[in-house]
Amino acid sequence: MLEAHNLVKRFGKVIALDGVSLEVRAGEVVGLLGPNGAGKTTTLRILAGILTPSEGRVLVGDLDNREYPLETKMKVGFLSGDTQLYQRLNPREVLFYFGRLYGVEESRLRERVESLIAQLEMGSFASRRCGTLSSGQKQRANIARAFLHEPPVLILDEPTASLDVISGQFIVEVIRRQRSAGRAILFSTHIMGEAEYLCDRIYLLHEGKIVDRGSLKELLDHSGCENLTDAFLHRIQHESRGFSTAS
Amino acid sequence: MRPRIIWTIFRKEITETLRDRRTLLMMIGLPLLLYPLMIIGVGKLAESQEEAQEARSSRVALWGETVPKLIGELQRSDSFTVEYWTGMSSALRSDLEAGKLQPFLTVVDPKKSKGDWKKRSSDIEEENPVLSAARSVISNRRVDAVLVVWPGFQRALLEGRVGRVSTYYDSVREESQKARERLGDALFEFRKTLIAEREKGEGLAEGFSLGIEVLPRNVAPQTRRQGQILGIVLPFTLIIISASSCLYAAIDLTAGEKERNTLQTLLCAPVLPQEIILGKFMTVWTVAVLATLANLLSMAATFVRVMIPEGQLSLSPSTYLVAFLMLLPVTFTVTSVFLAVAVFAKDFKDGQNFLTPVLMLLMLPLGATMLPGIELNAWTAFVPIVNIALLIKAVFLAEAHGELVFLTLASSAAYGMLTLLFAARVFQREQILLGGKESIRALLGLRREVGAFPSPSLVLSLFGIVFVLAFYGSLFLKNASATQVILLTEFGFFLLPTLALAFAKGFPRRETFALRLPRWKGVVAGTMMGVTAWAFVGGVLIRLLPPPESLIRAMEKIFLLDQKPVPLWIVWLVLAVSPAVCEELLFRGMILSGFRRLGMWPAILLSGLLFGLAHSSIYRLIPTFFLGVLFGYLVWRTGSVYCSIVAHALNNGVAMTLLHHKWLGSLLGADGVKYLPWRLASAGTVILLFSMWLISTLPKVNQDSSLLPRQRRS
Repeated sequence: MLEAHNLVKRFGKVIALDGVSLEVRAGEVVGLLGPNGAGKTTTLRILAGILTPSEGRVLVGDLDNREYPLETKMKVGFLSGDTQLYQRLNPREVLFYFGRLYGVEESRLRERVESLIAQLEMGSFASRRCGTLSSGQKQRANIARAFLHEPPVLILDEPTASLDVISGQFIVEVIRRQRSAGRAILFSTHIMGEAEYLCDRIYLLHEGKIVDRGSLKELLDHSGCENLTDAFLHRIQHESRGFSTAS
Repeated sequence: MRPRIIWTIFRKEITETLRDRRTLLMMIGLPLLLYPLMIIGVGKLAESQEEAQEARSSRVALWGETVPKLIGELQRSDSFTVEYWTGMSSALRSDLEAGKLQPFLTVVDPKKSKGDWKKRSSDIEEENPVLSAARSVISNRRVDAVLVVWPGFQRALLEGRVGRVSTYYDSVREESQKARERLGDALFEFRKTLIAEREKGEGLAEGFSLGIEVLPRNVAPQTRRQGQILGIVLPFTLIIISASSCLYAAIDLTAGEKERNTLQTLLCAPVLPQEIILGKFMTVWTVAVLATLANLLSMAATFVRVMIPEGQLSLSPSTYLVAFLMLLPVTFTVTSVFLAVAVFAKDFKDGQNFLTPVLMLLMLPLGATMLPGIELNAWTAFVPIVNIALLIKAVFLAEAHGELVFLTLASSAAYGMLTLLFAARVFQREQILLGGKESIRALLGLRREVGAFPSPSLVLSLFGIVFVLAFYGSLFLKNASATQVILLTEFGFFLLPTLALAFAKGFPRRETFALRLPRWKGVVAGTMMGVTAWAFVGGVLIRLLPPPESLIRAMEKIFLLDQKPVPLWIVWLVLAVSPAVCEELLFRGMILSGFRRLGMWPAILLSGLLFGLAHSSIYRLIPTFFLGVLFGYLVWRTGSVYCSIVAHALNNGVAMTLLHHKWLGSLLGADGVKYLPWRLASAGTVILLFSMWLISTLPKVNQDSSLLPRQRRS
């Protein structure tokens, strides 16, 4: 459903991504893990069509996202932990705004907005200005925004960052439900517990390169560790010492 | 671009903007408060100040002879409090009383005073003890002015000679100026009485000594006098306040969005960067327009409330309407500049740091428009923003001429368009949007892209540059001969930038300039079109908006190549072939090529409009637009610029031949007439229509990938 082939991204002389390839199939949650500065956000932004890669290509469905930018963006829902909402609009207005940008028909849009407000338990604050909402409420509104046009692909960049345990758990459950609905979900996080709980497959990114990939079991086997945190640290330390890690 | 998406973005942005108290305050609150406060508050203050000054008598030190009649004149009203010898040292007083001092000479600069009698009556005296004493007593505020009655004054009057007095005052001090005015009036009255007495005593007729009496009368009607005051203050105030009001919105919608991380959300939605910038531009522009409207309404209300009862300032609603309409292009340009600059900022604070200097840069030239003598002319009509301020000034003085209005509006539209295109370009750079940096070369689109085709924005930018370059260039060539002006304009200002751009960008020459050998039918149609188009223009189109006599004379001077006898082949080379080659390569080559992706008629009409605008005259706009459309159609259908070069050269060549060889013109009945006779115009029109039909029968040129720019799916 979502494929990246040999992505390279250069910012001036800095190489942020160096040949990143990955694949996310329908009905699976794929985790992208890596330390700060590994290139996770850059990868996700390229996949969402916000950034253009210096080399390589991205396929959403069968379409190249540089040749068909609008069509591919229609198929993707993007959510980031640091994304804010328009302070002076309320969540309902934000949803209508994005629904119109995504070309959702007006009658369908009304139905969809109300259903999302109910599903994500936003009724109590849907008419309050976003500037007055708590982080958890804002993130629910953001999720509704990303799911609004029912995209087959979801790209989530640390969606639970800066949320408390309850709000974080709520979002994790929402992601599980979206997997059951058959969506392809690419997900980056710092919280290893979330990754263990949610991800069918995991890519480990370090200094702009994929250094390991596979299911949780495969990653643990590769490292000989008992949990994902140890496996992650083992792999990163291994890479930092300069070992070759083609996988 | 999809209007529905732009409208959606605009609706959201304007809702959010209007919910922001700071914008509302700047947009409506400030103007509503400013004018009443400024005009009523400052006006009242000045009024009460003046009243207080009128009520207060002037303290005058009287030095020198005591002349009862003169003192009587001073004390006739309650305007003076006369103090004898105040501030005068005893040594100086005894010198004056002993008659040792005489009036001092004024400083006169012989160079400046030459031939100008006004300059000789300078009121600056060489340094002397009396002047120092007067300066000291006035600056200490012990008195407002000093009146020195020089020794021998009384005797001189008795003997029928001139008696001299000096008044010392400080022009910077209001009270001192007032004292001087009052002294002037009192001394004038004293002089009048004296002259009348002398005339009577000598048995002379009344007015004998006066000789002539000058009665100056102001011919400027009340509205013009009001216009002068408003024309100076209004453009500056309106433009600056409108600009300030949209400054906040421009920062909020760009740098503010970056700071709040909401821009990223918008960028992952299926919208084009151009749609985002247009939606945002419309919002900021709306804010600027609403602020302008609020300013004008508040100003009008204040004038009605405060000024009309005193009959000082009253303007018709139409004047406000015209001022409002003229401010639209200014707000357009200012908004585009603000957006293009603000998008570079990372956050709100950064945005303020970026835009405050821009606002300052606006204020400097605008301040210059308030100076007397700075008027709208062919030069200033091309200075962005300033031209509109001067145009408003001209409208208030009822001095706006059609040609200058046209040039001002056309150049303002060009500047507005260029800045908006730049803003759109900035918005397409992901690096800048996400807080990074971008090289200027990449930003201006100067990178070489071999095989790419010109885009609409690029050719619009090229046109804007060529338009301004050609205009200022022609002003520099004022002393050159007509031949030099034409050749330099065509080759230097039209062709050279066009070829340089094509080379720099690596555009394919054959496709960009339509350099294809035409079919014979195309050449025949082009020839027929060229031979007859001028007849339709001169016989029919020109009647729609007849040019004024002055323009006809100016054009004739150029077309007759300064009325020097020249062989016909030179006339053809300079006035027909050169313009045909240079203008066709620019307008039907590069520009039409840039607009191709918009479709046949939009491309032809737009390139025709730019061709019309390039002729820099409202009276030539319709004819040249028409010719541009004809030639554009010819190139589109034949796929060859050579056809339009032939048509253009023949059109100019035939018209110029008739102008240079009047016997030929009179043979056709076209000499010395304002419009071509209907007979000739009709014949030309029929052949022209036939040529159009012939063109329409041509097989469609391969409008495929070799001719059309690569279609992008976005």
